[in-house]
Amino acid sequence: MRLLGLLLLFLLPGSLAGQDRRLAERLDSSTAAAVQRVVDSASRGGLPTEPLVQKALEGSTLGAPGDRIESAVIALHGQLARAREALGGAADEAELTAAAGALRAGLPSAALRRLQALRSGRPLVVPIAVLTDLVSEGVPPEEATRSVLDLARNGRPDDDFVALRREVQTRRRGPGGPLDRPPLQPAPDPPPDR
Amino acid sequence: MSMSAERDDELQDELLRRVVDELRRPVRLDPTLDLRVLRAIREPAPARPARPWLRPAWVAAALAAGVMIAVGLQSRDRPSSSPTTVASPAATPFAESTRPVYLRLDAPASSRVSVVGDFNDWDPSATPLSPTGDRGVWTVELRLKPGRYHYTFLIDGRRWAGDPSEPRAPESDFGAPVSVLTVS
Repeated sequence: MRLLGLLLLFLLPGSLAGQDRRLAERLDSSTAAAVQRVVDSASRGGLPTEPLVQKALEGSTLGAPGDRIESAVIALHGQLARAREALGGAADEAELTAAAGALRAGLPSAALRRLQALRSGRPLVVPIAVLTDLVSEGVPPEEATRSVLDLARNGRPDDDFVALRREVQTRRRGPGGPLDRPPLQPAPDPPPDR
Repeated sequence: MSMSAERDDELQDELLRRVVDELRRPVRLDPTLDLRVLRAIREPAPARPARPWLRPAWVAAALAAGVMIAVGLQSRDRPSSSPTTVASPAATPFAESTRPVYLRLDAPASSRVSVVGDFNDWDPSATPLSPTGDRGVWTVELRLKPGRYHYTFLIDGRRWAGDPSEPRAPESDFGAPVSVLTVS
């Protein structure tokens, strides 16, 4: 059995046996260790870890300082945990990630639970993402929730949710709309040329 | 035909005759044979010494190695940090579960444009966009599984740009404009 244990330790992917290789390669050692602790905590709690790694890599690529990266990863961990509370154990990684974004956008957990109940086992990613996008576009959360729940209540397919978002987006971003803004925005801190 | 060949044929015929005669002789079996066979079948098989390669630990190790190899192969689907363009449908192991996604950016007077996001480990060298025939228009095709992705464009290696055709992420933590893409 000792031999088996050694074999498993040798064969386990880096993310399980130690530090995620990507974190070690892209972050300074202190930040990588701090992020890894959050990742390990998420793994022990049954939460998806890849969104946390991606958040850290995003911060690294965008030139954020280590403490800011760590804060963002910790915040996302909390949102994923709240998403798990709202949707329960059956929700998969994509659904939890989408739900974490919805909570971050200010939507209440109750809206996610109602959406889940109306979808009765069908995938939740697109309805939750569209709900979040509508709020991000400036639609009041109550109005956005009502529109998305109506579609779910009528058993509409994912494409109809996307169509709703497109329609709202076109209306709000069109000439004279509330989100009529220039398409390109330079970053305040340009990244190093890689 | 030569004398030697005729002699060989005669010998072969004689041999064949003997074989046929032997096969035609009735076989006399021991009258107790059936009884002995049935008794042998009923008796429990003697315990055989375990073969080293069939010990439970080795079987478990082999199973574990198989699982790890499978996990390793699956993890190759995750975009690597090496500079590669996003795979075409034919080259993607899970092509049947992905959807084609076309990203487009108007970036006139730019010499290179790439996209970074959740789908390529935020690697600026992983997914370059190609210039189209239209002046200043850059495009790339991705293959993505259904889900919600964060991404942003990098222009000339020094300027970030959100996607004007997709919503802005509410969770932009690091200052740069980040867009969200929902794949259904």
